[in-house]
Amino acid sequence: MKDAVQGEIRKEITSNRTSEYLTFRLGQEEYGIDILKVQEIRGYESPTRIANAPSFIKGVVNLRGTIVPIVDMRLKFNCKSANYDAFTVVIVLNLQHRIVGIVVDSVSDVMSLTVDQIRSAPDIESIIDSDSVIGLGALDNRMLILIDIEKLMSSSDMGLII
Amino acid sequence: MAEAHQESGGSGSDFDLSQFYQIFFEEAGENLDQMEQMLLHLNLDTADDEELNGIFRCAHSIKGGAATFGFSDVAELTHKMESLLDKLRRHELKPTSAMVDVLLESADASRALLACHQAGTVGQGPATGELVRRIQAFVAGEVPPVPPTVTAPVVLQTAPALPVKSQTASPQATPEAASATAGAMRQLVIRLTKLQHPEQANAVMELFRDIPGLGEIKSLEAPDIAPDERVFDVNTSSSNEDLLDLFAFHVAREQVIIQDAALAANQAVAPAAVTAVDEPAGTGYGFFDGAPGAPQPHPAPTSSTAVAAGSSKPVAAPRASVASVPQPEAATIRVAISKVDQLINLVGELVITQAMLAQNSRLLDPAVYQQLLTGLSDLDRNTRDLQESVMSIRMIPMSIVFSRFPRMLRDLAGKLGKKVDFVTQGEATELDKGLVEKITDPLTHLVRNSCDHGIELPADRVRAGKPETGTITLSAAHQGGSIVIEVRDDGKGMSRQKILDKARERGMEVSDQLSDAEVWQLIFAPGFSTAEVVTDVSGRGVGMDVVKRNISSLNGTVDIESHEGLGMRVSVRLPLTLAIMDGMSVGVGNEVYILPLSSVVESFQVRSEAISTVGQDAQLVKVRDEYMPVIELEKVFQVPRFDSDKSSDMMVVIEADGSRVVLLVDELLGQQQVVVKNLETNYRKVPNVSGATILGDGKVALILDTGALVRRSRH
Amino acid sequence: MPVILTVDDSPSMRRMVSFTLTGAGYEVVEAVDGMDAFEKAQTRSFDLVLTDQNMPRLDGLGLTRKLREHPNFKTTPILMLTTESSDLMKQAGRSAGATGWLVKPFDPVRLIEVIKKVVK
Repeated sequence: MKDAVQGEIRKEITSNRTSEYLTFRLGQEEYGIDILKVQEIRGYESPTRIANAPSFIKGVVNLRGTIVPIVDMRLKFNCKSANYDAFTVVIVLNLQHRIVGIVVDSVSDVMSLTVDQIRSAPDIESIIDSDSVIGLGALDNRMLILIDIEKLMSSSDMGLII
Repeated sequence: MAEAHQESGGSGSDFDLSQFYQIFFEEAGENLDQMEQMLLHLNLDTADDEELNGIFRCAHSIKGGAATFGFSDVAELTHKMESLLDKLRRHELKPTSAMVDVLLESADASRALLACHQAGTVGQGPATGELVRRIQAFVAGEVPPVPPTVTAPVVLQTAPALPVKSQTASPQATPEAASATAGAMRQLVIRLTKLQHPEQANAVMELFRDIPGLGEIKSLEAPDIAPDERVFDVNTSSSNEDLLDLFAFHVAREQVIIQDAALAANQAVAPAAVTAVDEPAGTGYGFFDGAPGAPQPHPAPTSSTAVAAGSSKPVAAPRASVASVPQPEAATIRVAISKVDQLINLVGELVITQAMLAQNSRLLDPAVYQQLLTGLSDLDRNTRDLQESVMSIRMIPMSIVFSRFPRMLRDLAGKLGKKVDFVTQGEATELDKGLVEKITDPLTHLVRNSCDHGIELPADRVRAGKPETGTITLSAAHQGGSIVIEVRDDGKGMSRQKILDKARERGMEVSDQLSDAEVWQLIFAPGFSTAEVVTDVSGRGVGMDVVKRNISSLNGTVDIESHEGLGMRVSVRLPLTLAIMDGMSVGVGNEVYILPLSSVVESFQVRSEAISTVGQDAQLVKVRDEYMPVIELEKVFQVPRFDSDKSSDMMVVIEADGSRVVLLVDELLGQQQVVVKNLETNYRKVPNVSGATILGDGKVALILDTGALVRRSRH
Repeated sequence: MPVILTVDDSPSMRRMVSFTLTGAGYEVVEAVDGMDAFEKAQTRSFDLVLTDQNMPRLDGLGLTRKLREHPNFKTTPILMLTTESSDLMKQAGRSAGATGWLVKPFDPVRLIEVIKKVVK
């Protein structure tokens, strides 16, 4: 069983051609997402509110002429109230069907992980739903929860799809 | 490039005619369109000379070009059409509905053949032998027998009057082209070209020997066979498709040319008629002896001096008495749509930039910066003009959409045995090209619906005291910031009870207390269809829900009005989604919202005495003599209030979807051009919002869907 | 350089004739039908007129007749481009005053051959 999952991870990584992950912090945990899905990292600017949207969808902003929704992951997953200041960071994702910005606590760096550095994590308790968790990356003393950001953002409870 | 087309209809060695093909294809397409329109409008009893001449010229033009550029199959067919049309325009024959039918079908076949040439798939076009035979019969003055209907509708219950019975009363049902009918023995001439070795041809012959029932094949001697070709006389009941599939074991499809034997025989004769050998040189040209300008045995000094004299002083000759006529063709050029879209995007960006400049210059001292401010004001005007011009490039008249219906209805009515008049109104109403493409399918379905389920059979209509011929009306008009397209018929309308029954059958809980309007809306449920006979036209139940979805995706609405026994009216309302629009910005709390200026009627300050409360929460305001519902934007959008000093003081009257409501806002901020951006690209559809825009300060503002707001007030 | 007026309501035919003739060193003016051709003839003269027969407003024969009445075009070579060369057509052409005819479809080489006979 474990080998099968390991096989899955290997497939996931080799099929991505690169195992580079952008890492960010949400609450007490560190997460990694495929660097190829990241378009840019920006500071936070106050979005235009959209009425009756879930509270974690802050609204939409103008990104060089494109209207982009901003999703605050802290509100969605961490349940704490969040503040916005000069250090608040937005990761702009360029996904298959949309461009969307996510607000996180902080962004760290880009990490390269080889297959051996990634383990399966079937029972991990993370604040982001385990459906999107691909595996666990370990490097030095850091533990990264690797997630499929595309899958996560497309899930119905993110409110981006009707 | 020259090698691609082997079908030289006289191309000289140094000349590559293929560069003209594209122009010819477009030109022929237009001629076919025109011919079709004219044939449909032809009044059989009082046929106009000009009309008949016009139709003749279309066929003639296509024939000339087809022959010149080597598309002999098209030339052949159009030549036949031309000979029938020639007799008609000389009044040697009287036009009949059957003639129009065969000409329309021939136009279709020509179109298909041209498409094959354009795609390079020669030999796969429709067989035209049957059509040629029918045309020749008319030319010879024969009256055709009534052909049997080949396709019968699929009957779920015993349906009254199948089309076959009402044959005599209605236009002929169209018989299938020979290639589609399996079962009838056909005489064909099959030519195999570019054979790499003779075994291939023998193998094809053996197929006929080995496969029982395939048919008979006989090798033919023909004068114009190339060394790598073989020609056969074939008698078979298989379709061309089946034969090609079969032969594919031995020869590629492109190598096989299948022709109707009768057509092939004509070809032997026709070229003579078209490229007749003639005096003096026997090469297709000649001069009249003694005619002005004709060549003399010796170079004629007289003719050259005459020419010289003529050209030295161009005389301003008095115009012969010619009635002044309009210019031949309006000067047009073809432009790729992508270029137009690019242009619109660029103008959009320009509008945003200009708005930013205007915003940033607001604080400048006019005394000091007078020139700059004047310049910016000019820029504003120029941008506006540019925007209007550019948007109008993409606007095309509805007549483009309407034009497909006469033909479609004629064929459909014929198939169903119904008599239908088709009326259009507002063809000149303009619509953005992108919308036109998306509205065509839903409209087609609605029109087919009217014909199929609405208009009754002639006998039923007469019994109901109605004229035998039903009428379907298609109209388009601008209303406020929308375009309203209606499909109306004077058929039997919808049966309220049937719909309620059907809904219950499908497990829907519907009360008998539903209003008529609500009952009609039920037909938009997926899979809903109350047709008794499922014809291949509509009624499979895939229609109305798709129609509704298509129209909703365009931010439009569909409304139905129906009266049993009298008819039905379907109204489609679409916002004229221009990428750039004039907007009025209003403030509510700290937020800015944009209203389409075209929906704004007027605005004024709140007068509390004019407001009355109705029911629980609803408010009405009296404006002159009208009472209008009040919509508080603060409530609709749950705008947070941080500043208790501010409140909604302004009322803005908007009109949309046929009614007026009053919006309650804090203040009017101004008018400006806005570029409409789609919210759904990266987000999703938001209720009461039709899009978003970027303001001069770079922030996003939501554009309100005035139609939705108005409809909201109705509940 | 000799100037040729080519008259045909089919854009592809005009294009082909134009291309062929300019390639052979002639200057070509196009007209979309008989009326257009006649109007153009008011302000300049041509060394040859090539005209199609079936056109709206004014057809080939009509154009030929009108041109023959015009002082500048009494002796200009006028060639009818026709899809058939029946005796009837020849007769009509002759009495309208045409110089000769050329049957369509023709190949460009033939066209130039014929033109060379009537234009110096």
